[in-house]
Amino acid sequence: MNLNILLLILIPLFTAFMIPLIDLIHKSIRKYFVFISINIEAFVAIRIIINNFDKIKSSNLFLDYHLGGWITPYGINLIMDPVALFFSTLITFSLYFIIVYSIGFIGHHEGKYYVLLFLIFAAMQGTILTGDLFNMYVFIELIAVTSSPLVAFKRDQNSTEASIKYLIYSIIGGLFFFIGVIFIYFSVGSLNMAEVAANFGNIGFRMQLFIISTFLISFLIKLGIFPFHFWLPKAHSACPSSISALLSGVLLKVYLYTFIRILWTVLDYKIIVDIGLDSFIIYLSLFSSLLGHIFALQADDIKRMLAFSTIGHIGMITAAIALNTEAGFYGAMLHIIAHLLMKSGLFLGVGYLINYVSGHKIEDFTGIAYRHKGIFISIIVFSFGMIGIPPIIGFMSKWYILLGFLESNSYLGAALVIVGSLTAVIYYMRYIARAVQKVKVEPGLKNRGIFNKPIISTFYRERTVTLVIYLFTLLVIVTGIGFKVFDMPINAMIPELIDSQKYIKHIIGL
Amino acid sequence: MINNLVFVILVFVSSYAIYVKRNLIKIVIGLSIFEAGVFYWVISTNDKGGKLPFYQVTRKGLDMVDAIPQALTLTGIVIGASTTALLLTFIIELDKFTGTHNLDNLKGLDD
Repeated sequence: MNLNILLLILIPLFTAFMIPLIDLIHKSIRKYFVFISINIEAFVAIRIIINNFDKIKSSNLFLDYHLGGWITPYGINLIMDPVALFFSTLITFSLYFIIVYSIGFIGHHEGKYYVLLFLIFAAMQGTILTGDLFNMYVFIELIAVTSSPLVAFKRDQNSTEASIKYLIYSIIGGLFFFIGVIFIYFSVGSLNMAEVAANFGNIGFRMQLFIISTFLISFLIKLGIFPFHFWLPKAHSACPSSISALLSGVLLKVYLYTFIRILWTVLDYKIIVDIGLDSFIIYLSLFSSLLGHIFALQADDIKRMLAFSTIGHIGMITAAIALNTEAGFYGAMLHIIAHLLMKSGLFLGVGYLINYVSGHKIEDFTGIAYRHKGIFISIIVFSFGMIGIPPIIGFMSKWYILLGFLESNSYLGAALVIVGSLTAVIYYMRYIARAVQKVKVEPGLKNRGIFNKPIISTFYRERTVTLVIYLFTLLVIVTGIGFKVFDMPINAMIPELIDSQKYIKHIIGL
Repeated sequence: MINNLVFVILVFVSSYAIYVKRNLIKIVIGLSIFEAGVFYWVISTNDKGGKLPFYQVTRKGLDMVDAIPQALTLTGIVIGASTTALLLTFIIELDKFTGTHNLDNLKGLDD
């Protein structure tokens, strides 16, 4: 029993419900309350790591908490194993910076924003930490319900359309997840992940196939992989930039976690390999990756381009995970960190710059580099990371993914990583070249163009915003040089992914 | 077997509504039908006869209907109701901005 795990979910949930009450007292207290709350959350996360450092090192970390004190197969339990620890810590700290950015970006007048943001925070932590399948379904639906109002947060036509589309896809994906969970219950008789994992091999083959395919459809929809990717570019580009960073950088990683957790730990991946579905997943993800990069070439809207690039990277990560080798897992996990840092940083930086112009079309981007040179250099660093230029972490992760593909003789995958990088050069350079163009100010056009527009800062606190962007830039470079720091947590989780028996043994003690 | 047939029919009806109809309200109705079909399928597959738990069964483990699927379905219904309500809210918002909720007039939803 470890109360700290429960606190990781309860602190954001408590904050979310306290914010309206805090608003009743005085609206200016809210930002201090939010800041204190995320600091406590980060403190709890750090405390878990420090207290269990030896266990993480020996890849032996298993913390649990039984809700209501019910013993494992009957009650709901929260589990923190190396995989959950990796994702939970990643999410805690990226959300920390995104919320600090939001304090400067969204301003002091939007209470609803923080309520939804903290609810989605709690839901993401819950999805990662839960050890119960139905609980996971409820948390995933909670993510869908809380993130769609955030997508529609600008309250204009475009964002409302995006939100409708996003919600329709989310509902269908959630229903497929529900069918899978229910039929697991019918055939195994339990909803506890370890119990299901121990007994899933014994049920009939047709039932196994049915359950695996329902979960697979659900993940394809939620991750935005090729036949179901239509919601992603619109949803990720219509919302405020801090939410784009959250959806594109962080939320998709939570779905990747559920993808790994369900297909590797709960449903034995060996069964999927036997059927031959693993090559289906790999080729579909690679095709989706290629498609994302190609669509990014023709996108005339920077946030849309970044969203398409996300499709490309997520496809690459799922393909590398589905290889089911140690090298593949290592590259994929490293790229999860890299993509999180770089894509969040890009959205945050672009969100800063486009606040000075009317829209985010490529024409509006002309000459924007001279608005704030520091931020623009950060954006260049992030895009170089996306392309894969050495001192930045994007290079290291792409390199290891490439090695992973080569190790399992998947030359198509290796080729696609390189093709993706080459296309990325074109589509990032298009925007960078446009941004450094000098605009000639003609006398007749005095009131048009970026140089004549007075700087009206819509930021509540501009310095916080720039500080977060610079911090992300620093992190991208520092982790790129010292990426061996991540060796320990990643190597701790790989044996558990390869062999799910360890997870089962720790939880139901067989 | 009749329950599987009903489920398939409901899924076809809802798919028709979701993929063919151009009115957003009808798409939401289609989604609701899909949800209802799934919940009906779950409940009817679980129903293998037996007595009500706690009410008719006084001793342990005798002919009791499994109570968990209905509890799960109830949660699913609650989630479905809230998502439908949210979707309808967004459609009302969109109607305020554009004056229509027909996909033929909303090109923005197609890209």
